[in-house]
Amino acid sequence: MSIVLPLDEEQRDALQELLNISMGQAANSLAQLIETKIDISIPKISAVTPTQLYSLLFETEDAFYTRQSFLGDVHGEVMSVLSQAGLSEVATLMDYDEPLSKEDIQEIILELCNILAGACLAGLSEQLELTTNLNMPTLFLPDKANFDELQWQHSLVMEVQFVIAISSFSMRVVFCLDDESLARMKNTLDELLA
Amino acid sequence: MFEQLVGKLPVGIGIVDENFNVVYLNDFFLDRLPHNMRDCYKETPVVELFQGQGKFLKRRLKSVFVLQHPSFSYWEQRPHIFPFKSSRPITGEETQMYQNMEILPIKDKKTGQKLACIFLQDVTAQASYFRAQQKLSEALKKEHEAQRKLIRKLDTAQSQLIQAEKMASTGQLAAGIAHEINNPIGFVNANLNTLGQYASHLIAICDGVQGQLELFTDELKEQVDALFESNHYDLLKDDITELIAESTDGLTRVKDIVENLKNFSLETTEGVQIVDICAVCHQLITLISAQYSAPQYKFECKHEKVEVMGNPGPLKQALMNVMINAAQAIEDKGFIKLTVIDSPQLVTIKILDSGCGIPTKHLKRVFEPFFTTKPEGQGQGLGLSVAYTAIEQHQGKISISSKEAKGTVVEITIPKQPIAAASTDEGSEKNEAENPQTA
Repeated sequence: MSIVLPLDEEQRDALQELLNISMGQAANSLAQLIETKIDISIPKISAVTPTQLYSLLFETEDAFYTRQSFLGDVHGEVMSVLSQAGLSEVATLMDYDEPLSKEDIQEIILELCNILAGACLAGLSEQLELTTNLNMPTLFLPDKANFDELQWQHSLVMEVQFVIAISSFSMRVVFCLDDESLARMKNTLDELLA
Repeated sequence: MFEQLVGKLPVGIGIVDENFNVVYLNDFFLDRLPHNMRDCYKETPVVELFQGQGKFLKRRLKSVFVLQHPSFSYWEQRPHIFPFKSSRPITGEETQMYQNMEILPIKDKKTGQKLACIFLQDVTAQASYFRAQQKLSEALKKEHEAQRKLIRKLDTAQSQLIQAEKMASTGQLAAGIAHEINNPIGFVNANLNTLGQYASHLIAICDGVQGQLELFTDELKEQVDALFESNHYDLLKDDITELIAESTDGLTRVKDIVENLKNFSLETTEGVQIVDICAVCHQLITLISAQYSAPQYKFECKHEKVEVMGNPGPLKQALMNVMINAAQAIEDKGFIKLTVIDSPQLVTIKILDSGCGIPTKHLKRVFEPFFTTKPEGQGQGLGLSVAYTAIEQHQGKISISSKEAKGTVVEITIPKQPIAAASTDEGSEKNEAENPQTA
């Protein structure tokens, strides 16, 4: 099934560039905090159906999932997929003591998502001159059946992957916007491009 | 006004500078400080003021100052960041306050100094409710599991009951049919005997006529010859005796089967009595060889009779089920050997077949009710479990060993005299019967 991306090519390039910058800032923030090098992938922008979103995100094995909603000029949700591998090295970098309890692991996951998603969103909003407020992240255990029943048809997703150089840890952050916010962002992009 | 409002808010609000020293605390925090500290809390490091989770708090504050981005913490992962007592110290179930925390980066508008604002929410009520719910749901889950197990047991018991009922009614049906068949078989048998005699008479007459043929006139001779010829007398003569002999044999077999069927079904209600194992084995061989003719049946016993005290119905049923399995294991060639070994206290019955055997992985489960490898509808997986129950009733043992493609041996051992339970029961019955007489 091919879906026409609701953004034209120019808008898409602009958004990708903006994302690239904000993701870079996010990676920098995290790197600064845990004092280690972080690599990021080139951001991907696409339109997906609920089922596609599910397979994009949740068919990863041995992973933790979180979600976090944001409000403000644009509304949407950030979903993150964190690898279970390499988490203990990251925990050490984040100043946690071994052995990690179940609660410690949950806390680390939530904090990592909060930092990265927050930094990405902050960077993006700043460049688009939009205000956004991120809510608390929560752990997420998605059910495919529920995804198939979601009301929306398509959503714009922006996806980027972070890899921490010294361990096998990696993390994917996916932004999803609702229709209204998408329209607003398109306008903003147009203003920037004009 | 705003200062008053912030002071009285039912959430904790605290402001910390970049060195983690306290700049401001609202009443929520102040109420929970020791009395002597309330006036001189400013400029004190926050981790000194609130000891306990200092390392964590510092880490989070650092993250907020570095990233300029809010940080969250939940009671589920870290319930007690600030060492506060529950807000209901007298009536509450929880002694410590459960907290959700959010740290926001802010800036002093005048000086531009970077600050961090700590919001602290008391979620003790939610937490204790949530935990109670969790306990409840766990208890429910356990109960549910226990119930499911019970239901499964009940299901098994019920199907066994249904099966037993079926067997009983099948038995009755078989007995009825056997009885009904007996009558026609009686007269068919009698008639067949007479028919045999008549046939030999007829043949004698014909042979007589043939012998006297030379004395007839040529015309008559030709006519009689033609008559013999047209009716295929030679063939008829050879065949008729054979046919009758075969029919008599067949009928004898039918009689045997019906007799055995009657024996089997009628005896299910009988109580404990003397059972001759050898006779049972012979009966079984007759019965089963009628249905399964592929294997060769052998019987071995050093004695004419081996007697045990037991319930003939279940015992026969058990042996029959084992034998049927043995017979079904043999597809075209093979043998089934029954060996009865008589020892002072016990009788051992070995049923050996040279059939297809049982795979090792199935061997452990063969006595399980409803375990079967036969296609659906062809076996209920009850044969051996019924046998097991029956043998156990007789305080006996049944064991099975098998090699794939080689064969199977089932060994059944039963005591000649049932011990304990049965005998004491009889004793008490006797006593009860005697008591009224003495009284």
